[in-house]
Amino acid sequence: MSEDLKKEVQEAPLLWPLTPIPTFEEVYDPKICTEASREISTVFEGWLHPKHEMAKPEALGKIRVLECGHGGLQVNAMFGGAYLSELGANVIMVEPPGGSPIRKLTAFGRKRYMFKDNVNGDLCGGTFLHECRQKQSITLDLTNEEGREILKKLVVHADVLIENYAPGQFDAWGIGYRQLSKINPRLVYVWNGQKGQWGPLADKPGEIYPSSPCSTGWCGSTGLPKSFGGTPLRAGERADDILAGNLTAHGVIAALIYRDKVSGRGQFIEVTSAEAHARIHDYAWGWYGVDGSSKPRYGNWDLAINIYSVNPCKDGYMMVGGGHDRLWYRIWKTVGKDRPELEDMILDEPTLRVVIDRVGHDQQVKTLVCLTDWMKDWTREECRKKLLEEEVAAGGVSFLDEVAEEPHYKYRGMVRAIDTAHYGKVLFCGSVFYSHRTPGRVKDLGRPVGYDNSDVYRKLCNFDTAKMNELYEKGLI
Amino acid sequence: MTDHLDKLPFEDYCRTMFNKDTLFEKPECLKGYRGLSCTQYILGPSAAAYLAELGAEVIKIEVPRLGEPMRHCTPYNEPWFYPVSRWNPGRGTSPAFQGANHNEYHVTLDYRKPEAKEIFYSLVQKSDFMIWNYRPGTFDRWKIGYGACKEVNPRIVLAWCGGFGGFGPGRNCASYDILGQAKGGVFSFTGHRAGVSAGFPSKHTTWIMDYSIGMLVAVGVLAGLYWRDTVSNLGNYFECSQVQGATRYTEYGLPLWGRHGIVRMRWGNWDTEICVNGICKCGLSSYPHSDHPSEQEEGYICVSAYTDEDYAKLMNLVGRPDLAKKYPTHDDRVEARAQEEIYPAIEEFLKDKTKEEANRVFSGAGIISQPLLTVREAANCDHWLERGALGWYDDPYYGDVFTQKVIYKMSETPPRLKHVHRPVGCDNEEIYQRVVGLSSDQVRELEAKEVI
Repeated sequence: MSEDLKKEVQEAPLLWPLTPIPTFEEVYDPKICTEASREISTVFEGWLHPKHEMAKPEALGKIRVLECGHGGLQVNAMFGGAYLSELGANVIMVEPPGGSPIRKLTAFGRKRYMFKDNVNGDLCGGTFLHECRQKQSITLDLTNEEGREILKKLVVHADVLIENYAPGQFDAWGIGYRQLSKINPRLVYVWNGQKGQWGPLADKPGEIYPSSPCSTGWCGSTGLPKSFGGTPLRAGERADDILAGNLTAHGVIAALIYRDKVSGRGQFIEVTSAEAHARIHDYAWGWYGVDGSSKPRYGNWDLAINIYSVNPCKDGYMMVGGGHDRLWYRIWKTVGKDRPELEDMILDEPTLRVVIDRVGHDQQVKTLVCLTDWMKDWTREECRKKLLEEEVAAGGVSFLDEVAEEPHYKYRGMVRAIDTAHYGKVLFCGSVFYSHRTPGRVKDLGRPVGYDNSDVYRKLCNFDTAKMNELYEKGLI
Repeated sequence: MTDHLDKLPFEDYCRTMFNKDTLFEKPECLKGYRGLSCTQYILGPSAAAYLAELGAEVIKIEVPRLGEPMRHCTPYNEPWFYPVSRWNPGRGTSPAFQGANHNEYHVTLDYRKPEAKEIFYSLVQKSDFMIWNYRPGTFDRWKIGYGACKEVNPRIVLAWCGGFGGFGPGRNCASYDILGQAKGGVFSFTGHRAGVSAGFPSKHTTWIMDYSIGMLVAVGVLAGLYWRDTVSNLGNYFECSQVQGATRYTEYGLPLWGRHGIVRMRWGNWDTEICVNGICKCGLSSYPHSDHPSEQEEGYICVSAYTDEDYAKLMNLVGRPDLAKKYPTHDDRVEARAQEEIYPAIEEFLKDKTKEEANRVFSGAGIISQPLLTVREAANCDHWLERGALGWYDDPYYGDVFTQKVIYKMSETPPRLKHVHRPVGCDNEEIYQRVVGLSSDQVRELEAKEVI
């Protein structure tokens, strides 16, 4: 490695934290919190704070996962593998020789937004780095017969295989569930995709997000109505793929429980991004069944709850929520402190008195115009403080720089930095699995292409140096 | 049988393995596990529902008489499932309640009444897991939190889920789905970019941060059960914060900010990392004479052509071969300026087409596309009905209900829908007699005192 490169990476600045992480004494200062609150919170903290995590066992410590989710640009398998690895599974990513195409993804194709490997200078995109947390990286050419024979050798030692290639591709290659379950009957095999590997709308090769939310009506009901200048919208993040990742982890652990407690056998699981999102499309389906309604777009307001919406304030956008009476009156009490006429207007309105009467469109307009009239004079933080005094759930829409600096997140280790061996210091979001006995954890982020080839192939397949060199020469790994 | 399966073409093999009509011929994955769901709204209930779909016996505990608040929030105050309970036949339950409460038993219990404690401990003793999403500390104040429960049943796996978590400076803040979206960061980069019509941060229409963090809570519970039953025989306590889940979904957002000082922003219906991969507007409506305003508007279609070959094909198809030459590599065309040129060119081509026509043209040329379906179209789409993802359900209480059915597919122990949900306190007799061991006159007496 050249000295210049080494210097560049080592000195890559980490713009975090810009303000110090709050200390225990500051958080539980008797001046700002009651004795009772401190007592219970410190008990929780003792059980759950991630600073204790490395001393605890891992829930899936004895599970090995092969993640073959890198044939295309879907991220569902990558997310599924990430949750399993946080919970302690040994996740081995099988990438094509040269690396996963997801490594090359970067916003607007800009190389300057990527992360440079301080050993070989390779560039890696942030999404890959963030989601391939502590996964081992091996390369293997699955398009080649000999490569697939090697995969079969790995499968003998695996508990789980996750793939997201085109429907039937693995089966045609002789490494689908039908074939692999004969080699290893205990294997839990998951296929991830957009809409399914069978059925009238089955995935075409290369199909990626956002095809899934378009096919379930989700995009059609996100965004503002046309009369307000809106269009259907996709989520900024690849929401459906992430949901499918959550469900992949869910299905895998459930199948492992059944395997280890009851049957001794694995099974074939199919998780699709679209069905994951269709499952959670709240009242849309029930409502359709009642009277044929098609859930329309309603922007940043909610069709079923008033107040439960985001509206402009002085320095951005402000979320306020409080549908039922207890919170409703507290919200208007808060508003009334500054603008008593607005509070009177709302409380005098007969159609706003009963919870379920408030959700009509006219009622929402009246309510939210009054609320926004109050909010326009205050910043997000001022609004939040005023509403919090009355224990109303409220908060500003935070941009990611603000998210990164939120004292609560920093204190809990939700947002934290890690000094990776190859990519320097990287800011990331920690594991969501806070736990007393088996916390999820992040020990490393994504690794360079083929970083663990030697480790994995020697350990699991008994390949010696000569064999490894042969495979490198043939371009198989 | 196995030989027969081996010879089937792959698609038929999948149809056989995942056939929606044979779900009930197969065993349930979590049979024998019992769980308590002391939850309200969506986050906690959905976590329990995902486990109930896999066959766990989930007992949902609600406030006596009225039930939990989610039963009473319905769009436009329009659709209701009657009755909300046998005490109140004139009111209904909202369809928003069903997605988060599949397959559960519905009992009532007022935790604050002194008689309730013993009943609750008895349920805890006989359960494998418990999920709750009251504010942190509430259950501990009532002496039914983790500290107390693990004394009663050291093998129980508890999961608390909620807004910010039980410790840290923000622990007293309450949260909702939409606050999770807002504070977690995903809200800020969803929507059209500034300067475009309606270009401001936008909400995901579903209560996604409730339902999806619920999935992660369920993952935690399953991991806890797996560790208990195969390794340690010990209970566990999980905490899942909603805002953290939302932050977890920001992909490259945090690394990008931490290293390069760039804040991830909105990019509308296009993709920041892949081009062409976006939702484009077609000029014509598929239902210009519909009585539903959202169906009268123009159609939209999702187009993906990100390989060099597909991209060139697409540009030739839309009559702009010059753009294929101008941006030959993916790095060229994914740049912001290039995207601003490419998508309008596609929309120009789609100006005189409906989304179905556009789909035919794209498919004919071998380009991946998916028309944007409305809820009504998706509900009638053969694909979802055939796969059993959506469908009608004949419910003994509510009649024919259209509902989401199967969350994902498993070949041996598939998740299934056994009932959508039930009225408040519907299973009081069943559960309090069978599980807790009360006699039916004791149940009636407790009901009269409004303990249950």
